Amino acid sequence: MSELFWASMADLGRMIATKEVSPVEVIRAHLDRIAALDAKLRAFITVCADAALQAARGAEADLMAGKVAGPLHGVPWAPKDLYSTKGVRTTGGSKILADSVPRADATVVARLGAAGAIVLGKLNMHEFAYGPEGLNAHYGDARNPWDAGAHRITGGSSSGSGAAVAAGLAPGSLGSDTGGSIRIPASLCGITGLKPTYGRVSRAGVLPLAWSMDHVGPMTRTARDCALILHAIAGYDPADPTTSVLPVPDYTAALTGDMKGLRVGLLRAHFTDVAAPDVRASVEAAAKQLERAGAIVDEVNLAQVIHVAAASSAIVASEALAYHAAWMRSRAQDYQPDVRERLRVGAFISGTHYVRAQQVRALVSREVDEALAKRDVLLAPATPIPATILGERQTTLADGKSDVRSALIRLTRPFNFSGHPACAAPCGFTGSGLPIGLQIVGRPFDEATVLRVVDAYQRLTDWHTRRPPSA
Amino acid sequence: MLAPVEIDVETLRRMAALGGFAWTDAELESLRPAVERLLEMLERLEAVPIGELEPTTQYRVL
Repeated sequence: MSELFWASMADLGRMIATKEVSPVEVIRAHLDRIAALDAKLRAFITVCADAALQAARGAEADLMAGKVAGPLHGVPWAPKDLYSTKGVRTTGGSKILADSVPRADATVVARLGAAGAIVLGKLNMHEFAYGPEGLNAHYGDARNPWDAGAHRITGGSSSGSGAAVAAGLAPGSLGSDTGGSIRIPASLCGITGLKPTYGRVSRAGVLPLAWSMDHVGPMTRTARDCALILHAIAGYDPADPTTSVLPVPDYTAALTGDMKGLRVGLLRAHFTDVAAPDVRASVEAAAKQLERAGAIVDEVNLAQVIHVAAASSAIVASEALAYHAAWMRSRAQDYQPDVRERLRVGAFISGTHYVRAQQVRALVSREVDEALAKRDVLLAPATPIPATILGERQTTLADGKSDVRSALIRLTRPFNFSGHPACAAPCGFTGSGLPIGLQIVGRPFDEATVLRVVDAYQRLTDWHTRRPPSA
Repeated sequence: MLAPVEIDVETLRRMAALGGFAWTDAELESLRPAVERLLEMLERLEAVPIGELEPTTQYRVL
């Protein structure tokens, strides 16, 4: 393949295992790509060129000795810069942790390393993951590769992950998602991003935003690559007491392409119906496509989601300030202004507000469970709007004006609140060429069905194969 | 319909001080609209019929 940087992780793994390409060639192709484009995209905070090449030479030697770690042997990837990486600084996108060098890898980084994957570097993000636009005053705002003028947001908080994967700087990434931070940049950058069930993947060694809402998961260009990464990272971890002991299935085995008889609920009120017209039309077209492939599609409403904004704001603001309290007392001036203000709001939420919010959470979770009792998955837009211009503050949804921040997280946050697995994937483009993302939501710990639906959709469409003009 | 929540800077200062935060009047004033909006939204949650539901975090069947 002439352009190795556009190959999927699955294809790279296969080509490396069959000695069609060497891990060194693959890593060099990606490092060259980073060198050519990252000054414009600002996807990386740290590039680990020497270490990646050294690891690639080791992977090549292992391969020649007949030792293959698995389907990700020699395959490059890059984590959002809030995953601890042994010996490599982990900034959280902040000035405060600019020189923080962990002594150990996060559990999931270690698991991907054991699976043979090679870290290219650390990716940009909204400071401390507290913002859905993907802005960063310290390392520069990552730019959306779909905007040739480079003036649009990537979405966040996993902004560098969105830009890097969309532009071929890395074939896969791990993001984190507290209100949509994997699915929002996936939607705005035209890639595939999975937020697994809460408890499916260890958060140990990952900087928290809000412990009870934080999820970590893969961002790639295909559902198959998400399945490969998820299989490598999922499962119980004694270092994270919230992880489940449920067995980890073979997610790639679930990718049958078969949609016959699968029950899909199209989320209408508060979801599809509030989206911008072209987003709504693309998601409705996706529902019809799934129906033609044999799925049984009906419409469903989640009435209780109107409470999610208030309740999740109370939870996130309280938990985030609890984590940042010491720095907010001693180094408040070192935060970027929007993050500092959001953190400060947490000081005015009472214990009774927090508990009430957790009660509402139980109500919403129950409603999502009930909707999924009669259906295999739910379908909605991932974001109601495409990528906005940097600095744009206001937008218009079908039910009225909204600030951009609230609009971006509106359709993803309910499933951080409820903990259900949800995957964003491209389902069309606006008239001006910006990606549109759908969202598939599944039953707890049924990522296999979520990925099966997204994979089946990707077999029927080519949205995920399109490449941005500025890349 | 609940009345809009209004909160003055002095009250904000006292609340912040309880958490060990010493913020200036200008900083508190700039926070005031966001705090008022959030507290108003949280007051509305009091009317949600949650019955006997216990508060939950994310811990499901492990």
